[in-house]
Amino acid sequence: MARLSDSSGASDGDEPSGDEPNDNEPGDGAARVSVDGVEKEFPGERGPVRALDGVDLDVADGEFVCLVGPSGCGKTTLLRIIAGLEPPTGGEVRLNGEPVTGPGPDLGVVFQEYHLFPWRTVAGNVAFGLERQGVPEEVRERITSDLIELVGLDGFGGAYPSELSGGMKQRVAIARALAVDPEILLMDEPFGSVDAQTREMLQGELLDVWEETGKTVVFVTHDVEEAVTLADRVVVLAANPGRVREVVAVDLPRPRRRTDEGFVEGVERIRGLIGD
Amino acid sequence: MSVDTEEAAVDARTLFASADRDWRHLARGAAGLAGFVGVWWVVSLFQNDLVLPSPVSVAETFVAELLSGAMVTALFQSMLHWIPGTIAGTLLGVGLGVLLGWSRRADDTAAPVVRLLRPVPPLALIGFAIAWFGINHAGAAFIVAVGAFWINFYNAYGGVEAVSEDLLDVARSLGVSGDLAMVRTVVLPSALPEILTGVRTGIGRCWMLVVAAEIFGVPGIGRQILTASNNLAVDVVIAYILVLSLVFLVVDSAFRAVQRRVLVWRD
Ligand SMILES: Nc1ncnc2c1ncn2[C@@H]1O[C@H](COP(=O)(O)OP(=O)(O)OP(=O)(O)O)[C@@H](O)[C@H]1O
Ligand SMILES: [Mg+2]
Repeated sequence: MARLSDSSGASDGDEPSGDEPNDNEPGDGAARVSVDGVEKEFPGERGPVRALDGVDLDVADGEFVCLVGPSGCGKTTLLRIIAGLEPPTGGEVRLNGEPVTGPGPDLGVVFQEYHLFPWRTVAGNVAFGLERQGVPEEVRERITSDLIELVGLDGFGGAYPSELSGGMKQRVAIARALAVDPEILLMDEPFGSVDAQTREMLQGELLDVWEETGKTVVFVTHDVEEAVTLADRVVVLAANPGRVREVVAVDLPRPRRRTDEGFVEGVERIRGLIGD
Repeated sequence: MSVDTEEAAVDARTLFASADRDWRHLARGAAGLAGFVGVWWVVSLFQNDLVLPSPVSVAETFVAELLSGAMVTALFQSMLHWIPGTIAGTLLGVGLGVLLGWSRRADDTAAPVVRLLRPVPPLALIGFAIAWFGINHAGAAFIVAVGAFWINFYNAYGGVEAVSEDLLDVARSLGVSGDLAMVRTVVLPSALPEILTGVRTGIGRCWMLVVAAEIFGVPGIGRQILTASNNLAVDVVIAYILVLSLVFLVVDSAFRAVQRRVLVWRD
């Protein structure tokens, strides 16, 4: 359904003259992320809550990494810290070697609950970040309609979020995050609120988008099968306090089938790691 | 393109269906109104005109007041209190409501003053209105503005406080930085439903406040009602009350239409 066209960054490159600040080659928008001894303590009623305790993690250019772990182990917290939405109480996150000091268009975020701007249409939501960057209207419209097509929402540009299903809303959220051509896509259980069928479809589409754009992706999920379907590496976190328990590389060719032997093994191994 | 025609067909269907519903609503409303006037008329048959004049004699008085020009003059004078007072109070109320709703620091600073002034009814400020502006249109407009201010202040404040933290996070991730940009791109559109509810409530309340404010001697519809009451001219009182209702009906319906248009995105 989603015809794969260039991402916003790549289609900018189609312009005859470099009339845009970002003249990235496809794939060149990807970035290296390093999480270095990150700690997070929240003030709590009965003393501080230690959500993360010295998390180290390196994500390579264009890599797809999934974070899994028991509820409350700090997945969301870690993702928000990488996104610059939450300051760590210790340690540091670097993007291409530069410390992350706050949120911004380099760090694309997609949440479980979509969080679309309800007063904006689909196209208006996708164009939001481009408007902030002062991208001229014709360029903005072209990028927006390309992205709407990329996520399979042709013809819905004028619809309001209240008129969309959960799966459609999440497609809009993904297109909106991609519009500003972020270096990395941070996703917190993005498919956690849609039915199983839609989830599988969205997983396939996300992989298409990922392969097409070459973005670095950090993806939080509860669903171990989802992690093994998507990831190059699965980072298993342990709870109380949150820390990296183990990193499992998934060396299986894509598309992966849930019945394959390697797939089943990977799922069982990760389940075991989360379970005890 | 087939999607387009299909959408058009659906549009037409829902349009007809809603027109149908509108008719039924209107018919029921008309029946209710006719019943009300009927009861009024029957009761008035057994009453002295000083207690309850019949709908017919009220209609006659209405026309007479209208033709003499007294009604138009009074309406115009009341508008001079209502419109500037409501606009000034609304702008100030929304502005300060947004500011205090958004800025912790401004809120902390202003909170004690707000709590102190809030319980003061606008009419208690008649003394100030007279002292600062005199017994004139500006004085009456001042009292109306105070009424509009508080309604709009609290609605805007509440609307801004309720803005989703998650939407703000999304906006920050998409490159919005700084208070002004955030207020313009996320806070205001997000709080707009509450703000518009405040504006609409304010417009109605202020119309009633106009009548009350005119009691201290400024000419207008309120003044006419007071004078007629003193003369025991109940038909005149009712004729002017009718003007109040009609004006409110027209303005409120117009505002509601605007509100619906602006907030099409709400389901
Ligand atoms: N804003 C906050 N204030 C206080 N404590 C918090 C806050 N955010 C998270 N925590 C605590 O930090 C820990 C990690 O929370 P987090 O939401 O990151 O977990 P999670 O792995 O995403 O959980 P889930 O799988 O349920 O989404 C929890 O103990 C939580 O209670
Ligand atoms: Mg979470």
